Amino acid sequence: MMLTCKEFDDFMVDYLGDGLPVWQKYMCWLHVKMCRECAHFVREYKRTIDLGKAAFDDQGDQVPDSVPEELIRAALAHRKNN
Amino acid sequence: MALTRELSAETRQVNGENTSRVVVSAAADKELVDSLRRGEEASYESLVRSFGPQVLAITRRYLKSEADAADCFQETFIAVFKGIDTYAGQSSLRQWVRGIAINQSLMALRKRKRAREESIEHMMPLFDDSGSRVESAGEHQRSSIEAEIDTASLKVSVRQGIDKLPDDFRVVLLLRDIDGLNTRETAAILGIELNAVKTRLHRARTALRYILQPVFGASKS
Repeated sequence: MMLTCKEFDDFMVDYLGDGLPVWQKYMCWLHVKMCRECAHFVREYKRTIDLGKAAFDDQGDQVPDSVPEELIRAALAHRKNN
Repeated sequence: MALTRELSAETRQVNGENTSRVVVSAAADKELVDSLRRGEEASYESLVRSFGPQVLAITRRYLKSEADAADCFQETFIAVFKGIDTYAGQSSLRQWVRGIAINQSLMALRKRKRAREESIEHMMPLFDDSGSRVESAGEHQRSSIEAEIDTASLKVSVRQGIDKLPDDFRVVLLLRDIDGLNTRETAAILGIELNAVKTRLHRARTALRYILQPVFGASKS
């Protein structure tokens, strides 16, 4: 029996990870093959995950080149006082 | 548990082309840790200057306020200095410090008085009585962010989108999708059930997808 969209939605995290038994994964795969709306949703959902990862890539522009000097001084002073 | 994951990531790296860099890094770590344990003043400063940028990036990511991020930056290094004797070398020093920065950020989030947060319920998909999806991507109410196509501004849009999520959902998304913890590690660090992690992660990703609709629309054209 084919999954409904709602049932498929409940499995989404496990479907895109490795948390489903083979037969459940197959049922999800089949649903995506048969349902245009869910196929579209999955494409955007995966893209959302990729965009999130790219936005916080530690090698990218998120890591500042340096830390404000007063922050460094405060951290070192804090250590001495504790 | 997070450290175990980091160790396996490093093992994978050792098997790849970065072997020499990892070995050099491990030697440098040992030297720095030894001098920290001897209480050499210069080593503390060296640690803060070397790892400070990464720590600041993490505390800024979890704590939206710059003042909170700065406080947490200090707390992280205090915890590092106090805990250096417990560092067992199972992961790189950088990964160990990173784990402490994440933990300190989560502790700060728990302590912080929670601001009123917008519900994400309207961002969830709709299903009819038979369980069929009734939404279509084009029917979303467009969020206020502009559709951006160049990489730098796209990153900013995505980060702004994540910041709009309520903390319970945002933190799970950061831990799972950005910091790479698995479901079990995320449940342990937050003290919640595995299913709660999965539900929050799914809702966070779904809400973010909703918020990013203008971006998807722009990339299609």
